[in-house]
Parts: sequence; structure tokens; C-alpha cells
Amino acid sequence: MSVDPEMLMAYADGELGPIEAKRVERAIAADPALAEEVARHRALRAALGARFAPVAGEPIPDRLAAMLKSNVIALPQPGARRTVPGWARWGGAVAASLVLGLAIGHGLQDPGYVRTQGGQLYAAGKLAGALDTQLAADSGTVRMPVSFRDAQGDYCRVFTSPVADGIACHGAQGWALRQTRPGSAGARTEYAQAGSADPALMAAAQEMMAGEPLDGAAEARARSAGWKR
Amino acid sequence: MAAFEDDLLALLPRLRRFARALARNAADADDLCQVALEKALRARTAWQAGTRMDSWMYRIMRNSWIDTARSRARAAETFVEEEAGLAIGAEGDAEARLVRNDIDAAMHALPDEQREAVALVLVEGLAYKEAAEILDIPMGTLTSRLVRGRQALMARLGEAA
Repeated sequence: MSVDPEMLMAYADGELGPIEAKRVERAIAADPALAEEVARHRALRAALGARFAPVAGEPIPDRLAAMLKSNVIALPQPGARRTVPGWARWGGAVAASLVLGLAIGHGLQDPGYVRTQGGQLYAAGKLAGALDTQLAADSGTVRMPVSFRDAQGDYCRVFTSPVADGIACHGAQGWALRQTRPGSAGARTEYAQAGSADPALMAAAQEMMAGEPLDGAAEARARSAGWKR
Repeated sequence: MAAFEDDLLALLPRLRRFARALARNAADADDLCQVALEKALRARTAWQAGTRMDSWMYRIMRNSWIDTARSRARAAETFVEEEAGLAIGAEGDAEARLVRNDIDAAMHALPDEQREAVALVLVEGLAYKEAAEILDIPMGTLTSRLVRGRQALMARLGEAA
């Protein structure tokens, strides 16, 4: 079957329903060029996310903050509710690596967080480490709000980090990135419920999930078993 | 009504990020934020508590950005001049800046309707449906603008790197 560019893009973004996604997956299995295009879409999203994410971590200019304070009593200082993240520097490096990756199609060689293999994005470095070891209850720059098993029985985890948020599923090659979005950690405010994942991401997880999310004990057991199904 | 200002202040980091993806530089982006905040403060009674303030603000900001189309068109001419100057061997400083900002340059090369779709979905991380509602266009229009914008970005960044 043929897959039009819009449908392939929607697949890369996790915007398709399960049936359409299956159709695209079958087409991808038959045509490596499609898999490459999906990886390019995801790499572009990650590169744009990394380029613009640090803006949300910058101090708010006084002239803008002042507009929201003139008639109001005792609002907290904007600086008090944000931590200026130390990842701003390597965010640029990741963006550069990803752009480099775009240039050669699918050759993202371990920019620290992400690698590609066979046209599929995988977690690397710090992100892979956090997926392996961190539990939902742990705090840190990278967080894992929800873990679950998908319809194939693989363990999947929703993650949030400064560079990208997403869903990763464990398989023989490591943590495959099924969904990626621009990173929220460090940029979120209480308005968007600090520490919780993007609602669209949680909805995507809900769709992939077979049964209930893992509770604390089940998550710890899965970790001890190396996340093998 | 302190809660209204408080919520706006909490949203401001995301609004500044969105503005940076739309506008051609940091100063213009903050000018755009200022215009959008002024409009929001004047229109505060139009906002219904309990509805999503982020969607409401993204829409105000996007409309403010469209309103400044004329001054942006002037700026685009300047940008082209700079680029032309570079091609005939202008200072290396400008060249370094261009290389560093290749994502920005690629974004600015997009038509407005593609750039706003890319900014909402890829920079702000909104679902297609949310982005289509903010832009007040059907889903099919959103996806076709988005796919064209992305293909242009991938082609341009592929060349640049």
C-alpha cells in the first residue's frame, strides 16, 4: 500500500489511531525509505525542541513581568518559581548533533540522549540510564511519571527531560523512542502542573497501554528483571 | 483578579518560546509578547476561568503576530540584503552568526502559515487538533501546511549542516 507524506508524518508524531498506525507500520516494514523519513521527522522535532527549549528557561525580562504585577499585591518574583537549568549549554550541542544527523539522514551518532539504528530512534546516554534505573517516585532532571506494558507485552515508560519528552519501549536493541516531544522539564510552571507529563503524551500512553499502569512494586520488579518481558 | 495575572506570568516562559519561534529575533519576540500581554489584559473579561488559558494566549499571540505582517515584510527585505552581502564576502562575524542560527534562518524562510503550524506542533508540542483549533483551520489544512513546512526545514537544514 502507499502511505502519503501527511500520514507518515502523523505516524512519526504519534497522531494516528491504532489501526492506521498498524497500516503504516506494515508499509514501513516493506520500505526502509519510509522508516528513514519517520526518523528524519522525529529528529527534526527533537532539533527544534532543543533549539527553543532554553528560551523557556531564560529569566523573564523585567518589562514583561512588570506588566503583570502593577495592580497586584505580593506576586512571587518570577525568578523564585523557576530554576534556570544548567542544560542550556548542552541543549545546543544536542541540537547541533541532531542537525548533523538530519544532514546524513539517519546517522545520529550518540549525541548524548538519542541514537538511531535501522531508521529507529533509541535512547542513549543519560536518558537510557534513567530509563534503566529510575523509578516513578524518583526526582531529577529526567523523570519517569508512568510505566506500563504495551499490547506486545514490552515495558514502556513515559519520560520527561529538558531536551525531549516521550515514550520509550524496551526491546532487544534497547529503549526505542515511540513518541518524542519538545522537552518540558525545567520549563513547566505550576500552571501546567509541574512534574506531570504533557496531557497529549499521557493520552498516547493510554492508547498504547495494555491493562493498567505499573504500580511502584511492579515497576521495581520490572527494573530488577532488566525490563525484559 | 490577581489569579489572572499570576496565571499569565506562569505561562510567560512558554509564550516567549512560541514568540521566539515566530519572530525573527529575540527583541522582536519580546515585543510580540508585550503586545499580546497588553491585549490579554484588556480582554481579560473575555477569558472564561476554567478554560485553557494557554490555547487562548497562543491564539492572541498568533493574531498579534499576523497584525505585524507589514513590519515583518520590511524586515525580510533587510534579511535578504544581509544574506546577499554575505555572499559577496562580508565580515566573518555575520557568517558565524548565520551558521549558529541555521535553525532560525530555516524557520524564517518558511511562509507564515507553515511557520505557525511548525511552531505550535514542533516547538510547543501541541497535538494537531489543538493547533488546528488555535489557527482556526481544518485538520487537513493543518497537516498539509505542517508536512510542507517540515519538508522545507529538513531540506534546508540538511544542506546547511
